[in-house]
Amino acid sequence: MIRLDNASYSYTKGSGVSNINLTIGDDEFAFIIGPTGSGKTTLLRMVYMDLLPQVGKVVVDEFDSKKIKSRKIPFLRRKIGMVFQDYHLLDDRNLFDNIALSLHVLGCAKDEIVDRVTESLEEVGLDGKEDRYPEELSGGEQQRACIARALVKDPDIILADEPTGNLDPVTSFEFIKLLEEVNREGTTIIMASHDYNLIKGRGHRIIEIQDGSVRQS
Amino acid sequence: MDKMMFLLSEGVKNLWRHKLTAFTAIFSTFLTLSVAGSLMIVGQNTNKIIEYLRGKYKIEVFFKENVSDKQIASVVEEFNKINGVRSTTLISKADAGKIFKSQFGENILDIIGYNPLPASCVVNVVKFQSDKMNIMPIVERIKSYPEVDEVQYQGRLIYRIETYYQKFVQIMTVLLILILIISVFIISNTVRLTIIAKKELIQALQLIGATRSFVKAPFVIEGVFHGLIGAILASAFLIVGLEIGSGITDSIIKLKIQYSPFVLIGILSFLSVLISFLGSSRAISRFLK
Repeated sequence: MIRLDNASYSYTKGSGVSNINLTIGDDEFAFIIGPTGSGKTTLLRMVYMDLLPQVGKVVVDEFDSKKIKSRKIPFLRRKIGMVFQDYHLLDDRNLFDNIALSLHVLGCAKDEIVDRVTESLEEVGLDGKEDRYPEELSGGEQQRACIARALVKDPDIILADEPTGNLDPVTSFEFIKLLEEVNREGTTIIMASHDYNLIKGRGHRIIEIQDGSVRQS
Repeated sequence: MDKMMFLLSEGVKNLWRHKLTAFTAIFSTFLTLSVAGSLMIVGQNTNKIIEYLRGKYKIEVFFKENVSDKQIASVVEEFNKINGVRSTTLISKADAGKIFKSQFGENILDIIGYNPLPASCVVNVVKFQSDKMNIMPIVERIKSYPEVDEVQYQGRLIYRIETYYQKFVQIMTVLLILILIISVFIISNTVRLTIIAKKELIQALQLIGATRSFVKAPFVIEGVFHGLIGAILASAFLIVGLEIGSGITDSIIKLKIQYSPFVLIGILSFLSVLISFLGSSRAISRFLK
């Protein structure tokens, strides 16, 4: 469960979020919608504790931003898979190694890594492309690779920050369907987007954020 | 185990991925260790010369005429207990007569009818001492015995040699420490370039839940490899240089340069690992702050 209690964070140059009160339950699929600069990314960064709220707190399962020590933050992040608009795939290694990186961090054995990477690539429809480098993949494939990277560690939560920002409408739609499949298997999904047309009518919770405050949830 | 292997392989792969940085780091380590190794060899050989000179230091003590052999033997025993004294050799009046005969070919009793040569003692001082050796306290102690008539020693020369040697050792130590500190900074800055180039990897690792030590390890391992390669090159360079140099000094002044290749390789490897570990740890720790 994710809970934000009166959480506020402001950057030195201005903007951020203020007084966010929000609870997202296990297995939930929630969209965060709002214009660019409204605070969507800040909110997500607070969830994976890249930013700790200056006022209030964020609680993700047993991790409480008020009490957490910086050396414990990696253990929170192991429960969270992240997907970004600009992919964040590493150019110096192939798809297999990009995805395997999360499992190396978890200390998995070599055989287990091979099995789990292969499985997650199949899940996102990228099987057979293990040896490709990121630059050899299309935008949609790169974003699916990001999902595979997030899924491979079997996370409790997936945070997606404008994941369809660089994708065409058809690929974006397929991407959302893929996330819905993942959600059906029990993973909490929080996806930030400014494209209302993409998410409306899908039956998921929509959290609207504007000028750093939640308008509607 | 698999995690360790992964970190190790990342460190080795990074050597190839960051060729320019690797070259700069290895070259600076090579230069540093070559200078440090040369200083150590010079220091070691200078120390050998000092030890040789100290072995030649001796204090000659002449006893008064009226002192019995028994008293002399007891005083010489006391000399042996003085701090800084290595050994003593007692030369009795009879021994002095024999030495006279061996040197001049005639018996002194035959010439003047009695033996005027005093009993004496040669006091040898210790060879191995880390700091400056001052024989004045030993001389003063010996002079304090009422049985002693005269003390002869190479005081001023010994003091001068020891003073120069001490200054030399101090300068060498400061130079060595300076070189090592500078090299830590050079390596640290070189590794920083790699880290800046690998900013994306570091961020990705942090996002997927890598601990600080997991993020640091490949960079530190890479740094240690730079250091070890630098140490191998510097050792090879110094050994070849020393063999050639030793051949030249041996043919000209019959002096072979003293050094142990294994000790040299060991010390340089240790220093390289130390400076590259410190340098790379400093760089990555500062980045992760």
